[in-house]
Amino acid sequence: MSSIPTRFDVVVVGAGPAGSAAAYLLAKKGFSVLLVERGKGLGDKNMFGGKVYAQPIREVWPELDKEAPIHRWVTKERISMVDGEKVLTVEYRTEKKVSFVTYLTQLTQWMIKKAEGAGALLASEVTVEEILMRDNRVVGIRSGPDVIEADAVIDAEGVNRLLLERLGLVKKLDPDTVGLGVKEVLKVGEGNIESRFGLDKKEGLAWAIVGDITKGIPGGGFIYTNKDTVSMGLVLHLSKKLLDEGSFEGHVSSLIEGFRLHPYFKPYWKDAIISEYGGHLTITDAIKFAPSRFAYPGLLIAGDAAGLLLSLGYTFRGVDYAVYSGKLAADAVEYARNNGGVNYENLQVYDDYIRKSFMYEEIMRHRGAITLMNSFELMSKYPKLLTKVMEKMFEAEYKHEVIYNSLLQALKEEGISPFNLISQAFMMVKGI
Amino acid sequence: MSQSKGEEKPIKLEDILQSDVWDVDEDPHIIVDSEKCLECPTKPCIYLCPAGCYVKAGDRVIFSYEGCVECGTCRVICPMDAVKWNYPKSGKGILYRFA
Repeated sequence: MSSIPTRFDVVVVGAGPAGSAAAYLLAKKGFSVLLVERGKGLGDKNMFGGKVYAQPIREVWPELDKEAPIHRWVTKERISMVDGEKVLTVEYRTEKKVSFVTYLTQLTQWMIKKAEGAGALLASEVTVEEILMRDNRVVGIRSGPDVIEADAVIDAEGVNRLLLERLGLVKKLDPDTVGLGVKEVLKVGEGNIESRFGLDKKEGLAWAIVGDITKGIPGGGFIYTNKDTVSMGLVLHLSKKLLDEGSFEGHVSSLIEGFRLHPYFKPYWKDAIISEYGGHLTITDAIKFAPSRFAYPGLLIAGDAAGLLLSLGYTFRGVDYAVYSGKLAADAVEYARNNGGVNYENLQVYDDYIRKSFMYEEIMRHRGAITLMNSFELMSKYPKLLTKVMEKMFEAEYKHEVIYNSLLQALKEEGISPFNLISQAFMMVKGI
Repeated sequence: MSQSKGEEKPIKLEDILQSDVWDVDEDPHIIVDSEKCLECPTKPCIYLCPAGCYVKAGDRVIFSYEGCVECGTCRVICPMDAVKWNYPKSGKGILYRFA
């Protein structure tokens, strides 16, 4: 880093969606911006499930739909409940361009190039080791012997927020707040994607799967159709309960293999070749994960590092939340400049911006989903119950049970009282 | 790149990992205090590290950093606080292409 200046208006740590959006907007507003990224190639440390909501990103880049590397617009949403080889699937079709599938590596590449185009300076292959404090205020960053000073540092380091931990602003990652996402990218071929999933050109499918596909661990499975590959994998909620019990049936890769070889799902990737395998942590309890403040003297926290991810069980929003929080960070820095200077009192508006944003409101409004998705009991019981009702409705050699009796019998077999069903169903509908 | 077929039969994790690309650092970015592992009753890293970097050998845990996918799970789950975790330096480590 010796060849670059040692002082900037703003240093952004992490060239993911949050950092790139912040750097892009700040550079456009005329600030000198250094965007620091540990990866070598643009975007090559980014990993996610597969789906991106578009509208909040269009606020930063109105040209998104035309220019961004969008593989397919999601026109089909599927939800499946799995119990052994029994599967119940619900499908919804739309034509509205609400969300799309892509590789995050490609999308961030596009975002970083936008930031560079607007005048932000990118320093890649630089791992920030420390956020520097002086007189109770963040004044810059350090990587090895190199120090860069700034009026404001935007921390967009991601879910593994080592820097915030080192600063003492957040506690060490709590297993109750994160899940392990494991993903395989399977090369299926463009034509096969369209014929097997019933999609037209440029149409995509997002699929959420719950039930014993995770072998009793809270979480679920996902499938996304990219241009010519399928991203499929599992999210396993880590928790003190899971770790204390320590009763794992096998290595996590055997769980994803069980999913890949499941008789209902495997025809979708017949003859496919595995192109990539990866793992990443994801936020499962955004409220507990969030830092106590989003703005500190000289420091703004954005994206995953700020806990800004909505996990509803049937859909997930992380990339657009990251971009939008990057936008709010840039707005806050601009507000500070226009109101007497980039100092703490003025930067504090960022905390307000986040708390009043749709993201924070959504996370709070849907907090019932956190309880549900983390529940060992509910996550295994209800997929079992519903597939059992289906079994009683369809698997009859002579006589079909009336649906009401199917439900009563299934409830009895699963040990759920009708009262519990009603109250828990109400909680689910209300909380998610 | 691996030519592992994604259906029909089980594939070993080591073969699946052949599909990934790394620029391996000479210095490990994760240091494990293996003495602590001896005392660990559950050893969750054996099961939960998606890249299989932690292997059980009797009471011991053998760790290798080269195939790490940089998820950070071991850091979160280690009951003995035996994992010192850093990001690799100078752009080293896993290079995701389709993630």
